[in-house]
Amino acid sequence: MTDLYSTSQEFVTLRLDGQLLGIPVLQVHDVLKAQNMTPVPIAPNWIAGLINLRGRIVTCIDLRARLGLPPATEEDDVTGMSVVVEQNGEPYSLLIDRVGDVLKLPLDDYERNPVTLESTWAEVSAGVYRLDGELLVILDVERLLDFAAFSQAA
Amino acid sequence: MDDLLSEFLTETNESIDVVDVELVRLEQNPNDSEVLDNIFRLVHTIKGTCGFLGLPRLEAVAHSAENVLGKFRDGELSVTPEAVTLILASLDRIKELLAALEETEAEPDGDDNDLIQQLDACAEGEGPAAAPAEETEPAVEEAPVAEAPAAEVQEEVDPGLGRALKAGEVSLEELEAAFNAAPGPELEETEEAPSVEPIVSDAAEESVDDSVLRDFGGLPGVIGAFESALEVLVQSGKCPALGDPDKLARVSEDFGHLTLAAMNQDDALVKTVADGLQSAVVWDVALLASVSAGMRSELSSFGLPSDELDVVQTALERQAHLIVPPAPKETAQKSATDKNNQKGASNQSVRVNVDLLEDLMNLVSELVLTRNQLNQMVRRLEDSEFAVPLQRLSQCTTELQEGVMKTRMQPIGNAWSKLPRIVRDLSLELDKDIDLEMHGAETELDRQVLELIKDPLTHMVRNSADHGVEMPSVRERAGKSAKGTIKLDAYHEGGHIVITISDDGAGINAEKLRAKALENGLATEAELDAMSESQIQRFIFHAGLSTAQEVTSVSGRGVGMDVVRTNIEKIGGTVDMTSTFGKGTTFYIKIPLTLAIVSALIVESRDERFAIPQIAVLELVHADAKGENAIEHINSTPVFRLRNRLLPLVYLRDVLGFERGEHTGEAFIVVTQVGSFVFGIVVDQVFDTEEIVVKPVAPALSHLNTYSGNTILGDGSVIMILDPNGVASQVSSTNTDSEQDDMAAKAADARMSDRETMLVFKAGNETPKAVPLSLVARLEEIDVERIENRDVRPTVQYRGQLMPLLTMNPETVLREEGKQAVLVFTDDDHTMGIACDEILDIVESDLSVEISTQREGILGTSVIAEKVTEIIDVAHYSRQAFSDWFSADRKKSNTSSAKAVDNANLLVVEDSAFFRNMLRPLLSAAGYRVTVAQDAEEALQLRERSRDFDLIVSDIEMPGKSGFEMAQDIRAGGRWQHVPMIALSSLSDAKDFEKGRKSGFNDYVVKLDRDALLETITEQLNAKTQSEAA
Repeated sequence: MTDLYSTSQEFVTLRLDGQLLGIPVLQVHDVLKAQNMTPVPIAPNWIAGLINLRGRIVTCIDLRARLGLPPATEEDDVTGMSVVVEQNGEPYSLLIDRVGDVLKLPLDDYERNPVTLESTWAEVSAGVYRLDGELLVILDVERLLDFAAFSQAA
Repeated sequence: MDDLLSEFLTETNESIDVVDVELVRLEQNPNDSEVLDNIFRLVHTIKGTCGFLGLPRLEAVAHSAENVLGKFRDGELSVTPEAVTLILASLDRIKELLAALEETEAEPDGDDNDLIQQLDACAEGEGPAAAPAEETEPAVEEAPVAEAPAAEVQEEVDPGLGRALKAGEVSLEELEAAFNAAPGPELEETEEAPSVEPIVSDAAEESVDDSVLRDFGGLPGVIGAFESALEVLVQSGKCPALGDPDKLARVSEDFGHLTLAAMNQDDALVKTVADGLQSAVVWDVALLASVSAGMRSELSSFGLPSDELDVVQTALERQAHLIVPPAPKETAQKSATDKNNQKGASNQSVRVNVDLLEDLMNLVSELVLTRNQLNQMVRRLEDSEFAVPLQRLSQCTTELQEGVMKTRMQPIGNAWSKLPRIVRDLSLELDKDIDLEMHGAETELDRQVLELIKDPLTHMVRNSADHGVEMPSVRERAGKSAKGTIKLDAYHEGGHIVITISDDGAGINAEKLRAKALENGLATEAELDAMSESQIQRFIFHAGLSTAQEVTSVSGRGVGMDVVRTNIEKIGGTVDMTSTFGKGTTFYIKIPLTLAIVSALIVESRDERFAIPQIAVLELVHADAKGENAIEHINSTPVFRLRNRLLPLVYLRDVLGFERGEHTGEAFIVVTQVGSFVFGIVVDQVFDTEEIVVKPVAPALSHLNTYSGNTILGDGSVIMILDPNGVASQVSSTNTDSEQDDMAAKAADARMSDRETMLVFKAGNETPKAVPLSLVARLEEIDVERIENRDVRPTVQYRGQLMPLLTMNPETVLREEGKQAVLVFTDDDHTMGIACDEILDIVESDLSVEISTQREGILGTSVIAEKVTEIIDVAHYSRQAFSDWFSADRKKSNTSSAKAVDNANLLVVEDSAFFRNMLRPLLSAAGYRVTVAQDAEEALQLRERSRDFDLIVSDIEMPGKSGFEMAQDIRAGGRWQHVPMIALSSLSDAKDFEKGRKSGFNDYVVKLDRDALLETITEQLNAKTQSEAA
């Protein structure tokens, strides 16, 4: 995530269980509407299923399950949208509640994770941006998809 | 990596592989000059190329090896295994160096003096020239040190050579020198007049060579002269191809080497250099003449006498035919070489990076999927304008797919290429004499599969050589030739390739293996007792057995056979073996041709679809909700009776962890085979099969061994591909070993061996009927319209004959329309059909027939598959159909030798009521008087009562006294001592036959072979009559 140290960076913002999250815009390959997913029985619970994205098989990650959040309820107003990122050439789609704007943020507003951040979050958070009235947690996609690590977690 | 270097690596590796194989051939046929020439050429090329690339270590090793080969060729050294081993060792060293080179792009440090000394010593061994070989070594060692500037060159000249150094060219020249040093004197004494240079080789020229070069300033001088000459040509526009200064320098160098080599009469080097030149520029005679003239004038500026210059110039010009391509002489020579050298067609092929092919394959796979999707969409539209273009697209896609698949196909011989060497090394090491035969090396399969089977194959051949083939002395004692043979065979069968590896070695000692299996707790004594020899032999595939070291020493086989099996099964293949103790062992491997596209069965469980690779699927069975065809449970473990065998089942929904619902309703059972383990996967629904493109699962899922991949179906949906191995491991997880189940099941099968296979059908009423399958010739469905004369005596024209069609009982009605199921029975020229309503099943069953004589045509009843079944009396119906079916008249009128000896008295000893009831009418119809006995005791009682018989027909397996025992008893003395006896049994192998003979039977007939029985009876009776007459 060396890009974080240039003067400003653009992020796709996501909403998950009320929390605003960001992924560097260059890492996002696609933003998808709700898709028909093929479930994968006996897979870890954070694997929501597989989809066919233009002939490629994409593994869908249930980000709520991955981050230990409760399953979505009516109130969460879930759109079923997802963002597609890649890890080692393998596409993954991250299921989130809603997709927000793309924000260009100055580095001045960036801060490291607070030391008290809960471990699941600290593991996948690359830092925090202070926005007006809200905090934006930047997701570290690489660590989020480090499957060896989450096999253990799962 | 430098293109040149990488190409060099690929080529050299290939050459080395070829040399490996060829050397082994040479060793077997030391006089095959063609093979030797080929080896020599390849090693030489390796050496030459190494020289050009500045790889001193490689070149030195290759050079010394070539020296030895040269001596072979000249007949100075005989081709001994030791010498070949040495050359193979140097090839290995070259391989090591190449590997290092590939990694670091530089030769590793170190030297090869040990090897070179051995090689040189070997070359000297019988060679006349002792001195030159030694020179090689120092020359090579000097190489890295001698980085002297060009100015100092002359002082450092090697006196024997006129070698000089030029900055930046050091190693190359040093090597050149090293190369020249050794063969130099040898040439004087031994080299035959080189065929390419007919006029050459007056002593004058030999002597000039040194002095001339020295005067020119050595090789660099000559090169310099060429360089200047070529520069002039380029400037005058005569040779634009050399505009690039680097290329110019390289070509000049080549010319220098060429001249030097030509003067030294080193034809091989000349050839190599000339090839290089030829590939650099397209030369013609005029151009070459200009070069040579230019060079001459350049050299003349050194103030050399013109006669010396002549020598140099002619040396060069004499090689012109090698450099100028279409010279007829060269063409002729080349085409001759082409015959020997398969690589001759190299300009017809292009090297393509494997990654590129993989990418292409992936793209084609995508294309296939998209095509399938389009097809599905268009199919839903009526009269779509897309239909025609889509069809065309579809066809092109298929062809493209096939084409790309072909590019991935490689002959299996590529995987075998290392085997001759391995076998050879092993046979030397173990002091055995082993021949390796390879058939079907051209059989092609996907290179991915090829890579994957390479190691298992190698392992198995190694095993065969190591453990299979015995020591020559042992072989001779066993009456075999001292030389053992390992045979490799490959051929296509369906969409698979079958590879067999067989040896004529010791075979597998089932006894020892059995003891070991028992010791290791793999099976209990009882289980083992029930197993056949071959089942016990299959234990070598067993992990627990084969990995244990001490077992190996006992069983003589099996290190890692489980690994072999696992590896082969991993790619969807199967492996099996047969072995005869003392005779040899054969392994069968069956693998799919390609892994990329497979045929898969699409099934559904809990509304989710899954694919099961077709190769693992044996059959599909429909299970009813209840009744005879339902899934049963033993303490909640589901099982299914499949043709009288319990099939272990696993519910796919359980495997996949779906919520466990009540197991109700109909289900489909996918009978699946993994290795030799057969089990059923219960699914809710079965769809059709589809060609699918297997894609690996995402890394996040790769730890799940239940899936072997995923794919996109024609409708665009993603589907998981089940891995039968993974599913099987779940089935047997409670049992830890899947094979044991299988073994037990097979053992059970073996116990059933004296059972009969029955055809079960319905006719007339609801009671199932059965008839031994062996009596039924065919099952036919006959169009009712073809039934003639249906009210009186229905007949059908069948295979050019009139076939009477009988009904089982009065209730049976022939169908009015559609097709009528008919069981066809034939005997010589008689055919009859029995109409039935429905064929139910084919079942293996023991024949405890309850006799009932109340109904005609029914021998009795038996419980088959838990149902009371009527066994029909075929003889009854055939009597109806043809009054002469069984009659002696017919037999007499026949050409058959089974001419009944009238009124002979026969005793039939048979425990099975079914057979008794089959045999009695048969034999009495043939004109014999028949007495039956239920067992040996009953028969022997008849003897006590002084009954006389002309002949005894007896079953073997009977309760109480067996047929063998009875025969021994009879032959031991008494009334029946000389009565001919015929054994009747379902056991039919040679061993039983022999045993039967030993215990006193005169002949042996397989049950239900009526003709053979009648014939044998006649034979024995006639023999008896004759011997009595005599």
